[in-house]
Amino acid sequence: MTGFKKKLLNDQFVFTVELTPPRGANTDRMIQKIEELKDLVDAVNFTDNPSAKMRMCSMAACKISLERGLEPVLQMTCRDRNRIAIQSDLLGAHALGIRNLLLMTGDHPFLGDHKEAKPVYDIDSSLLIRLVNNLNKGIDINRNRIDGKTSFFYGAVVNPNAEPIQPQLKRFEQKIRMGAKFFYTQMIFEVEKLERVVEYAEKFKVKIVAGIVIIKTKRMLKYLSSKVPGVTVPHWLTDKIEKLDDKDMQKFGFDFATSAIYKIMDRKLSHGIHIMAISGTEEVKKLLNFFKTGI
Amino acid sequence: MIITRQKDFGEIKKYIKQYRNFFLIGCAECATVCGTGDEKAIQSLKNWLQSQNKTVTGWMIAKAGCQIFGTKREISHYKDLIEKSQCILVLSCGVGTQTITELFEEKPVIPVNDTLFIGNMRRFREFEERCRACGDCLLAITGICVVTLCPKQMLNGPCGGYKGECCEVNSDTKCAWVVAYRILEKNGVADKFYKKISGPKNWLKANSPRRYSARKGIDRI
Repeated sequence: MTGFKKKLLNDQFVFTVELTPPRGANTDRMIQKIEELKDLVDAVNFTDNPSAKMRMCSMAACKISLERGLEPVLQMTCRDRNRIAIQSDLLGAHALGIRNLLLMTGDHPFLGDHKEAKPVYDIDSSLLIRLVNNLNKGIDINRNRIDGKTSFFYGAVVNPNAEPIQPQLKRFEQKIRMGAKFFYTQMIFEVEKLERVVEYAEKFKVKIVAGIVIIKTKRMLKYLSSKVPGVTVPHWLTDKIEKLDDKDMQKFGFDFATSAIYKIMDRKLSHGIHIMAISGTEEVKKLLNFFKTGI
Repeated sequence: MIITRQKDFGEIKKYIKQYRNFFLIGCAECATVCGTGDEKAIQSLKNWLQSQNKTVTGWMIAKAGCQIFGTKREISHYKDLIEKSQCILVLSCGVGTQTITELFEEKPVIPVNDTLFIGNMRRFREFEERCRACGDCLLAITGICVVTLCPKQMLNGPCGGYKGECCEVNSDTKCAWVVAYRILEKNGVADKFYKKISGPKNWLKANSPRRYSARKGIDRI
C-alpha cells in the first residue's frame, strides 16, 4: 500500500502538490522541485498536458519522482488517447511502479497550444474510472480477462465552483459509484462552495482533497478566472485585490491561502490539501513549512 | 440538412486555372437552402468565371445531387453542353460532387463548396450543427444530441469546466449537459440516469466509410 493511500484511508490529513512536467527535454528544474518538495508533501501529482498544452508525459515524470523517493500521483485524461491507448499506458504505468491515479476528462485542445489537434474523448472520466476498476479486478474495459490484476489507488475530480451545482453533484455521485476512492477539487476561493460538496458527500465513504492556489499577482488571478476552465473567482476577491500593490499582493496571496486552509481544517471539510501547479515553488515551500511546523 | 459554404474565389481559381470551358451543376436540396447551389449562386459563379475570361457552356440544377441514378437521368439532357466543357464545377455538398465524379470519370469535377456539417437553420441562413451521424442515436434519453453539442462528447454528464451554465470551449454557448440535465429532470429521470453509466460508445457504428441497405436491412452492402 502506498503511503498516500494509507494516510488517506486512515483519515490522516495529507498535503499534496501539483507539478507540471517540462515542456522540453530538460528535466533539471522538475528534478530540483521534486528534491525540494519531497520532505514536505505526501505525494506529488504530475499533470497530463494541462490546459491542453503539450508537456512531457505524466508517466515519465512519475517514474522520475518514484526514483527520487517522492510518491507520485499520475494524472490521466481522456483527451489524447482512445480506450486502447489508455489501458496500454495504465498497464505500463503499473509496471513502472506507479500506483496512484487521478482520472479526469481533460481540458479541450481548443484551449491549448495545439488548437488544430483532433480531440479524442473516446471515453469520459466516469468510464475511465470504471476502466481502472476493471483493471484492478483483472479485466479490461470489454470485461475480457487480462494477465495479472493491477493495484491502482484511484480518484477523480469534482468542481465545487460549478454553477448550477446539481449536474456536477450528480456526476460526483456517479463517479463514486464507479469506484473513485478519493476526489481532488478544482481550486477553491470560497470555502462555502466546498461545503456544499462535502455536505452532499456525507452519505458516501469518500475522501476529499481540497484544491488551493497561492495567488501571486493580479495578472495570475485574471488568468485563472478567464482562461482556466471551471475556475470562478468571486467579485469581492477581485475588488479587494485591485486595491493592493504588488508587494502587498504577495503577502495577501499567502495569507489568503493559509486562512482558507485553516478554515477547511477547522471545519473538517477535507482529508487533505492539494496545492495547484500555478502557485510558485517558493511560495508552496513556505506554505508547507508553515503548516508542517504549525500542526 | 447538409450545410455548405462556397469556397473563396481565390481557392477555386487555383483548381481551375488550366481550364477554359465549364459546365456548372447546382442542387435543389440542401445547397439551395444554404444559397450555395441555387440559380443565384450559379449566376454569381458564372459572372465571376466570365470576369476571369472563362466560358460557361451551360448549367443545370439537379433535383437531389446525392441521388446518383436520378441525377444521371437529369444530366443526360445536357450531354452536348457538358461535352463542350473541359471541367465541371459542382455547387452542392461533397456527396453531390462525388455523384458527378462518378458519372464523368474522364472529366475533372471540382467542388465549389465546402461541406460543413449536418444542421438546422435557426434564422434565414444561420445554421447550427445538431447531429454527427454517429449511428447510435441517444436523443430519446438526453433530448439534445450531447455527442454533437458537447465538444468532449461526454456520455455521462458534464465535465468540470462549465462556468455560469456555459461551455468551457464556447463561452457563448450553454453547456449541453446543463441543458440535458433540465430535460432529464423535466422527464423525471435525472436520478435514474445518473445511477447508471452510459457507454463506452460503440464507434464501430461511426467508422467511415459506412454503407447501409434499407432494402436488405443490412449495414454493409
